[in-house]
Amino acid sequence: MSDKCQILSLIPLAWGADALDMALGAAQSLARSCGVDYQVVLLGASESAPAVARAAAAEAGAVFLAEHAGLSDADDLPALALVAAAAVGQLAAEPGVQRLILLPPGADGEELAARLAVELDACALGRCSALSWSAEGLVVERATWGGRLRLVMGMQGDLAVACLRTSKPQLTVPSTPHEVRRLPVQLPLPAALALEESISGQRLPPVESARIVVSGGRGLNEQGFALLEDLAERLDGSLGGSLPAVDAGLVPVVRQVGVSGKFVSPDIYLAVGISGTPQHLAGISPDSRIFAINKDASADIFNVAQVGVVGEWEQLLPALLKALEQ
Amino acid sequence: MNILVLLAGVADNRYPLHEIRIGGDGLIAEAGQSRRVLSPFDEGALELALKLRDAREECRIEVLVLGGCNNDNLLRSVAAYKPERVRLLDLQPCCPWDARLSAAQIAGLVEGEALPVDLLLIGREFGDLDEGSLPVLLAARLGLPLFSLAQFAEWQGETVRLLRERGIRQQWHRVAGPLLVTVTNDKRNKLRHPLMKNVMLAKKMTFDTAVAASAQGSALHLAELAAAREVQRGGACRLLDGDVTAQARALATLLRGQLNQEIVP
Repeated sequence: MSDKCQILSLIPLAWGADALDMALGAAQSLARSCGVDYQVVLLGASESAPAVARAAAAEAGAVFLAEHAGLSDADDLPALALVAAAAVGQLAAEPGVQRLILLPPGADGEELAARLAVELDACALGRCSALSWSAEGLVVERATWGGRLRLVMGMQGDLAVACLRTSKPQLTVPSTPHEVRRLPVQLPLPAALALEESISGQRLPPVESARIVVSGGRGLNEQGFALLEDLAERLDGSLGGSLPAVDAGLVPVVRQVGVSGKFVSPDIYLAVGISGTPQHLAGISPDSRIFAINKDASADIFNVAQVGVVGEWEQLLPALLKALEQ
Repeated sequence: MNILVLLAGVADNRYPLHEIRIGGDGLIAEAGQSRRVLSPFDEGALELALKLRDAREECRIEVLVLGGCNNDNLLRSVAAYKPERVRLLDLQPCCPWDARLSAAQIAGLVEGEALPVDLLLIGREFGDLDEGSLPVLLAARLGLPLFSLAQFAEWQGETVRLLRERGIRQQWHRVAGPLLVTVTNDKRNKLRHPLMKNVMLAKKMTFDTAVAASAQGSALHLAELAAAREVQRGGACRLLDGDVTAQARALATLLRGQLNQEIVP
């Protein structure tokens, strides 16, 4: 299928190293499975040598930089979409070839993918769990019905935009350093939505980039989450929660882990009072080791955990904090 | 203020899934006892609309509920909150996996009926087959700016303010014109319980259907619908025994020694 498909990874530089790695990892694994090269378009206000080097080490066939002085705000998705569309428009599309544009996975990547699909009049594939090419064209797989079913679809059309989550890229040392090809974009950007900002009072780092995540479910109360916060701080980790815990107001939605929340890939995920629904587990990397505390010995979380404690959090969490002090 | 709320519903995840397959017509066919309920995001969108109406009697709420199995119960559960109008949204063809087609259909309905919309509220995901693309595409189709992942709304004077959190920042937006807002779950928009008298009234109601048709089919044809793949994880849970102190010490040792060590069973 190598003559029928083209893969382009489009990455806003302002989104940081994790987004860069996740986007490169997805493009690299798909390109390898299809036996094709892939191209990278970096979007930003200025060039980033480390990002270029990483793309080259992740086997990108070519690296482009779409530079626009107005792209310093990572949150300005309409502006990113406009610049991205203008940059993609400068890259030659071969007739009869299906082009797939991949964006970093996550809520922002998914929104940007949809906005870019609008700008390019492309098919919006959204959050995909697998992608491949068959003789008939692009094959798209998505998790549906809360992660309980998977839907496989064939795509007609010559251009699609998607997000795909795989793993971090496998890095090699490129034989020759990549030359960055510039894609000049000069267009007026729309005014960003007017926002008044303040600090929310969150004292722990973002949940999606922590090496250890301490997470709670509806089995806890406010006191339990206060203990989890202490525990996360003590372990130099971060705090997460399940959707029911967010609904109950125990933890803010920016810390929600699961199919509709954040995807986390810590080394250890300590799940306290979490039953282990597929919707929640879909937000935890298969590479993470799960430790579980739950009073219900038959909870599904113990089927996927490596270490478990059957017990009441009210006794266990204070004892754990004390043990960590010693 | 005219508020349009779009609700999709999802299969209740507390129960096993009903029978779902790809029908002979290439569309999703659902059978058996379906339990479709409002999703947490649907509930958030509806609650924000109700809160705004609580504070301003002149707010008018119109709701469109996506068609599908268990229509009747879903419509009645929404009608119990007494929106000014609630109708069934009948997508023809119904391809909710194709956000571009669905958004075009809904936008065509809104524009074709010239529905007055100052605020369009929709959950961040529109049902079991959307992962967040549809609201973005709908905003574009309708030419509306988009405020995504709203958690709270309130009146401040004559202006509606919307709140969302991003990382350690809170962001407020003052609504200055027609706007599409996607809503995420939050304790402040947890859906209230309807009054029992309104539940009883809703049981007797009949509902109109709003048809959103398109001559085009989907660019995404369904090939297979199957059980989700099992994610391979470590498993083989090692349960820590002893009393609470012993369990806590063992767990602390594992966590401390943690992140770079293999766990010895």
